[in-house]
Amino acid sequence: MPERSVTFFSNLLSEAQITARSVADYMGGTGLRLGVTGLSRAGKTVFITSLVHNLTAGGRLPVLRASAEGRITSATLQAQPDDAIPRFTYEDHLASLTLDRHWPESTRRISELRINLEFERQAGWRSRTGSLTLDIIDYPGEWLLDLPLLDKSFAQWSRETLEASAEAGRAGLAADWRGGLQGLRLEDAFSETAARHQAERFTAYLRASKSDRYALSTLPPGRFLMPGELEGSPALTFAPLPVTEGAAYGATTMAGMMERRYEAYKTHVVRPFFRDHFSRLDRQIVLVDALGALNSGPSAVRDLQVALGDVMQSFRAGRASRLASLFRPRIDRILFAATKADHLHHTSHDRLEAILRVLTARAITRAEDVGAKIDVIALAATRATREARVTHDGAQLEAIIGTPLAGERVDGELFDGVAEAAIFPGELPADPRRALRGDALAVPDTEADYRFVRFRPPVAQSGEGGQAKPLPHIRLDRALQFLIGDKLA
Amino acid sequence: MTADDRRARPRAFRLDPQGQVAEAAMAQPVSKPPQIEIELQPDPYELKPVALPVDEAVVEMAQRRGMLGWFRLGWGGLFWSALGGLVSLGIGLWIDGLIEQLFSRAAGLGWIAVALAALVVLALLALTIREVIGVFRQAHVAKLHAALAAAHLADDTDAARRLVGELAALYAQRSSTAAARAEITRTTGEIVDGRDLLDITERLLLHPIDAAVAREIAEAAKRVSLVTAISPRAILDLVFVVGQIIRLIRRVAELYSGRPGFLGFVKLARSVGAHLAVTGGMAIGDSLLQQVVGHGIAAKLSARLGEGVLNGLLTTRVGLSAMAVCRPMPFAAGPQPGVKDVAPFLFGASQDS
Repeated sequence: MPERSVTFFSNLLSEAQITARSVADYMGGTGLRLGVTGLSRAGKTVFITSLVHNLTAGGRLPVLRASAEGRITSATLQAQPDDAIPRFTYEDHLASLTLDRHWPESTRRISELRINLEFERQAGWRSRTGSLTLDIIDYPGEWLLDLPLLDKSFAQWSRETLEASAEAGRAGLAADWRGGLQGLRLEDAFSETAARHQAERFTAYLRASKSDRYALSTLPPGRFLMPGELEGSPALTFAPLPVTEGAAYGATTMAGMMERRYEAYKTHVVRPFFRDHFSRLDRQIVLVDALGALNSGPSAVRDLQVALGDVMQSFRAGRASRLASLFRPRIDRILFAATKADHLHHTSHDRLEAILRVLTARAITRAEDVGAKIDVIALAATRATREARVTHDGAQLEAIIGTPLAGERVDGELFDGVAEAAIFPGELPADPRRALRGDALAVPDTEADYRFVRFRPPVAQSGEGGQAKPLPHIRLDRALQFLIGDKLA
Repeated sequence: MTADDRRARPRAFRLDPQGQVAEAAMAQPVSKPPQIEIELQPDPYELKPVALPVDEAVVEMAQRRGMLGWFRLGWGGLFWSALGGLVSLGIGLWIDGLIEQLFSRAAGLGWIAVALAALVVLALLALTIREVIGVFRQAHVAKLHAALAAAHLADDTDAARRLVGELAALYAQRSSTAAARAEITRTTGEIVDGRDLLDITERLLLHPIDAAVAREIAEAAKRVSLVTAISPRAILDLVFVVGQIIRLIRRVAELYSGRPGFLGFVKLARSVGAHLAVTGGMAIGDSLLQQVVGHGIAAKLSARLGEGVLNGLLTTRVGLSAMAVCRPMPFAAGPQPGVKDVAPFLFGASQDS
């Protein structure tokens, strides 16, 4: 079993590296590492931009106690600790939000930002002033899907992917790729052309599944969707094959080579990403775009549930102790946030939170068992709508008013991105489990019980000196109070 | 699937720049114009209070200074502690000597002395435990108060559920609260918002105690003004007022949480003092005018009567500060009663009632 022992040693090595880094962090007094996790489209970039803007420009954060009590004296952006990682282009994202009223484009590469908060302590034995350094990392949400792969062999991953692609909802999307599998022999000599062909078709299937219409989530490997700087490299030229688990294939056969590349992908892409950015978090916020999946149908919601459950398994939660924070940092607070809460009326937020609770039930139980603190909220880092009651034919509808994005469609209306509209998105089910029941995927407009329209960012109010004031938000302050409030006491 | 059919479908109403439903959006035939009205709603997220109310901030400041604070050891404190230690050693030496002497006189007497000394130690131990419990109880109340205030502000349902349980546990020994506790346990299991749960709890559990505390304050104020009015010497009524105030603070603490003990009382008194120092001019300031007027009329009738009213007012204010500080929950469902609510008789309202 030489391969197994190699895996064991490489695991041991990466463990040692994690420990070494966290000891170095501890000595260097690096502040709080806030892990902003979320699959693609969950709103990570907007969340970070809004968080930084609200903190640095003095936004209204009444529930964040330190802010409400006026104890935060300054919040500034600082030089980031890692020189090899690009800086989070906060200014560009902010300009796109406030000036052009466009949502930031989907993130293509990793970036980092550091904020330093100076505040006065409430009272007590320690010095009167305190400071907190907040390290935040933005990255393509697709990459997060890779974390569960760390524990899976090529055969296991192939089996799961093939099984998933045979499901009713996905079969149509996967037909082209699966058709290509028929002519493939596992024992054939490896050919680069065939491998690339397979990888391309497989990628096309993943891309189609991710589109808004289907909004599926469980689609590893994430770099296929967002390759970053690895585009075209051998580590990305593989695809799942119907291999038998436990069987050994020759190194030059198709199956053997694909397996090798899969392992290379894990070793050179996934593990460093995890080690460098996720293994040493103190607090975590998990952003979930439940509305996109709800738009598509129960099948997509269930898929999101599976994806979240798998991803969350990779994180280390637990009560933080002095010793643990030195050698083996653990996440002691996890906030699950259903983003884009401004897309529905506040009276529906409880139902949205209930659905999120069901989606993340596995992760919540696991985290609570080991003593981490958990909260679930509906959140909108940037609030694009107002609320209104529409009386129509004697019926009263709780609606929201905003500017829908160009091309959005609801109730037979196609929007141009300029006109405002009052939208009644439909009612979420009172029993959250109903949102997961059924096999429907990509439900057409005419049959949908709810349809959540995406809105353009709101018009920014300008404050003194022409600088845009922080955009309104929903419960961003509550999220911050939960995540960093205790460190600001 | 009838429930499904009845559920409202998603709808969109295009708006013109004036915020009215645009004509083009009306898909229905012109002959039957649809009745579409759009009524903007107030921002639900603006309705929440911006920060802790001022009163609440003062209460928490006062609690931190006394009930949650530690005794700071200054030079004076060091002096007295060291001296106290020496005196205790001296007493120990004296008892030791006494027992030895008694033994040398008669073994029986010696044994009696040993037994008595053992009883002294036992009682001292019991007293110490009670003191420690008292101090911890006060700290617990102060922490609970702050946590409940935070939960109320954040409308945090999970925290509210947990804290309401703790609050009910505080009164588990009191049989008169059994019905209220049962009702709260029932409500906690239902779907209820954090803030509503806290308000329900306050109404059920704390309002009866509030009423008892208000009665207690009123009686103390009455006694103080009466005794001041008829006491022959100023020093006597001073002693009486101080005694009544101490008794009142202890009584309020007892009603809200339990006996404070001596050390607990000292901490509590510090908190009450801190609260009084801030609210003396502010929170109860609205009734200052009436106080002066009331005093003026009484003083015209008789100087002693005027002093009696003034001392009564002082007692009431101390009582109200003690109420604010000892209460394990902030006043959220309603405002804290003022001087006039608790002791209306000081303002000449007794004729009516």
